[in-house]
Amino acid sequence: MSLPDRIDPHPARRIYRWDLDKTYLQTDFDSLRQLLRTALQKASEKTAVPGAAALIRELGASGDSRLCIISGSPTQMRRVLEEKLKLDGVEWDELVLKDNVRNLLRGRFRALRGQVGYKLPVLLESRARAPVDAEEVLFGDDAEADAFIYSLYADLIAGRVTEPVLARVLAAAEVYSDDATRILAAWHRVPRADPVRRIFIMLDRLTPPAYFGRYGPRVVPIFNYFQAALVLLGDGLLTPVQVVRVAREMVQTAGYNLVTLSNSFQDLLRRGLPLQAVAAPLVQALEGALQGPDKVLAALRPVPDIVNAFTRRVAALGSTPPLPEARPVDYLKLLDDARPRGSRERDRPTKRTRRSG
Amino acid sequence: MASRATTIAFDVMGGDHGPVEVVRGAALLSLESPHLHALLVGDADAIDRALAETRHNGERISVQHAPSWVAMHEKPAAALADKPDASVMVAARLVAEGEADALVSAGNTGAGVLAAARTFRLLPGVRRAALASVYPTRTGHGEKQDPFSLILDVGATVDASAEDLVTFAVMGSAYARIISRNPNPSVALLSNGTEAMKGPPRVVEANQVLARRPGVRFVGNVEGVDIPKGTADVVVTDGFVGNVCLKMLEGVSETVVELARYAYASRLRWRLGLAMLSNGLKQLKDLTDWQQYGGAPVLGFDRLFIKAHGRSRARAIANAGKVAAKAVSSELTRAIQEGL
Repeated sequence: MSLPDRIDPHPARRIYRWDLDKTYLQTDFDSLRQLLRTALQKASEKTAVPGAAALIRELGASGDSRLCIISGSPTQMRRVLEEKLKLDGVEWDELVLKDNVRNLLRGRFRALRGQVGYKLPVLLESRARAPVDAEEVLFGDDAEADAFIYSLYADLIAGRVTEPVLARVLAAAEVYSDDATRILAAWHRVPRADPVRRIFIMLDRLTPPAYFGRYGPRVVPIFNYFQAALVLLGDGLLTPVQVVRVAREMVQTAGYNLVTLSNSFQDLLRRGLPLQAVAAPLVQALEGALQGPDKVLAALRPVPDIVNAFTRRVAALGSTPPLPEARPVDYLKLLDDARPRGSRERDRPTKRTRRSG
Repeated sequence: MASRATTIAFDVMGGDHGPVEVVRGAALLSLESPHLHALLVGDADAIDRALAETRHNGERISVQHAPSWVAMHEKPAAALADKPDASVMVAARLVAEGEADALVSAGNTGAGVLAAARTFRLLPGVRRAALASVYPTRTGHGEKQDPFSLILDVGATVDASAEDLVTFAVMGSAYARIISRNPNPSVALLSNGTEAMKGPPRVVEANQVLARRPGVRFVGNVEGVDIPKGTADVVVTDGFVGNVCLKMLEGVSETVVELARYAYASRLRWRLGLAMLSNGLKQLKDLTDWQQYGGAPVLGFDRLFIKAHGRSRARAIANAGKVAAKAVSSELTRAIQEGL
C-alpha cells in the first residue's frame, strides 16, 4: 500500500484522467500554421469541446475524485492552459505537460512526437501514488495513440501484460531506454488491481468506431460528451440530472438539439452498450429540469417530444446487438498494424523482435 | 437551436449496391453537410455492420429497422402486398409522418413510386405524379450554365393525359427554377414535329393549354433531336416515351465509352490520341457524370421523393441526399403548388 493511502484522510475513490488537445480542447495542429496559431492563442481564445467542461465539473461534484490531466502540449503553455481551465471552472489535481525543449536539447527527436514513452511512465507514476482501490475513467482522442496507451496502462496494472511483452512493445514503439526503465520501475511500484472501468475516445477525426473494437468493450469511442455522460450514467458514476447538465451545456454552447442528442443515444445502443434502462430516469430528470425556468432546455422541444424522440430511437432498432466480448489485446500486433504499409519494420517483424530482445 | 434540421430518410436496402453503398453515401452526407440528418431504413444489423466500418458522424445518423425489402426484379404491387414492412414502405411512412423530410431510394423504381403514392398525398391540382430526370446537353442552362436539362415524366405515369402533361410542365418549371437555379426556364413538349398541331391529340391539346398559360415559359414542341441539344430547359412527355428516351441516352453514352475503350485497345496511335485527350475527357466525364447530380425527383406529392439511380454508389447517394435537402429547404412542393 502506498504512503498517501495511509495519510490522506479523504482518499480519492475515483480518478479521471484527461488528455487536453482534441479531447478537452478543440485544437487544430495538423499543419504548421495551425500549430503556430494554437501556440499563440490566448486562454480566452481557446475553445473546449462541447460538454467537456460540464462533464468534468459533474464528475468532480461528488468531491471524492481526482482530475489528472496529461497532455502532449509543451510545458511553455502551462500558464495559458491553466488559465483556460480556470475560465471553464475546471479544478484539477495534476497537470502534466511535455518538456519538449529538454527532448530537443538532448537530441531525443523521436520523443518529440512519441507518445508511449511520454504518457505511459506519467500514468504509471501517478497510479503508484493513488489509493489502491481508486477506480479510473480515462479520456483521450483518436488523433494519436490514446486508445493504445490507455489500454496498455489498464492491462499493465491489472497484470494482463507480462514483462517480456511490455519490453517488446516498448522496443517496437521505439521508446528510449531511460523512459523504458522509468516505465518498468513505476509499473513495479503499482499494486496489482483492475481499476480502469472505461476508456473514452473522442472521435475528433471521426475514425470508424469499429476500429477500436480490437481494444475490447472497455474502450468506448464517442462522438460527443453526451454519449460519455450516458455511459457513465449507466455505470452509476453520474446521476440523470448531471447528464442533463452536460446536455444543457452542449445545447447552449454548440447548438446541439433533440435530433443530435437522441441520435447520439441510439448510436451507443447500436454498438451494444446496454443503455435502454437509462432512458426513463433521464427523461424524468429532464422533466424535472423543465419545471424550472430553464430557457436553454425549454428550447429543445416540449417534454412529450423529448420523451418521444428517445423512445422512438430505442423502438426503431427492434432489438439491440449484444456488447462484444472482452478479449486479450494484442499490443504488438496493434503496433505492427499502425506502421505504414511497406515499411521495413512492418515487413520484417523478426528484425524488430531481435532488436528489441 | 429551435429550428429543425432537415432529415433525409434513405431506403438502405434498395439498389444494386445496397445496403453498403447506400450507408456509405449517407455517412458521406453526415461528414459533408452539418445541417442534414440521415435516417437509415433497412436491416439494422446490416446497417450497423456497414456503418461501423465507415467514417461517419454518429450525431447525424439514426437507424430504423425494417425487416424486409423489395428486390430490383420484383413486381412492385405484389412485393409491397407481401411485404408491408419493406424498407421503402417504412421509409415513406416515416416521411409521411414527419419523422423525415424527404425520401431517397436507389431501389426498385416502381415500388418506390407506389410506396410514395400509398403514403404521400398528391398536391391539389395534380392527378398523377411524374418522375423527372436530368440529362446532359450541348448547351448550358441556368445560373451556373450547367449542361443539363430536365425531362419528365420518365416512368411514373405511363399513360398521361393532356391535363397531366400541363401539370408536368408546371412542376418541371418549378424544379428547374429552384434546384437548377434557372429563374425563367424554357419548357417544351416532346413531339414528332415542332409545329403546334403535330403529335397525338393529348400533346396537341396540352400545347394549346400551355401556350395560353401564365407562369410557364412555354416554347412549343421539340423533337427527339432537340433533347441532347438542350433546346429547352425542361422537356415534357409521358412516362412511356420519357423512359425510352432516357434509356436511349444512357445507351448512347455507354456505347461511346465502349468505342473509346475499343479504340484504346486497338491501335497505338489511337491510344496516344486518347491519352493526350485524357484530361479533357475526364473533365467531360465529370461534367456529365449522373452520379454528381443526385437522383431523379418524383414530383407531384406533398412530400419529396428522390429516386437515385439503381447503380448508385456512395457519391451518387450522398448527392441525391443533397438534392433532396435542397428541395426541402427551398420549399419545392410549395413552389409547385403555387404554380398550379
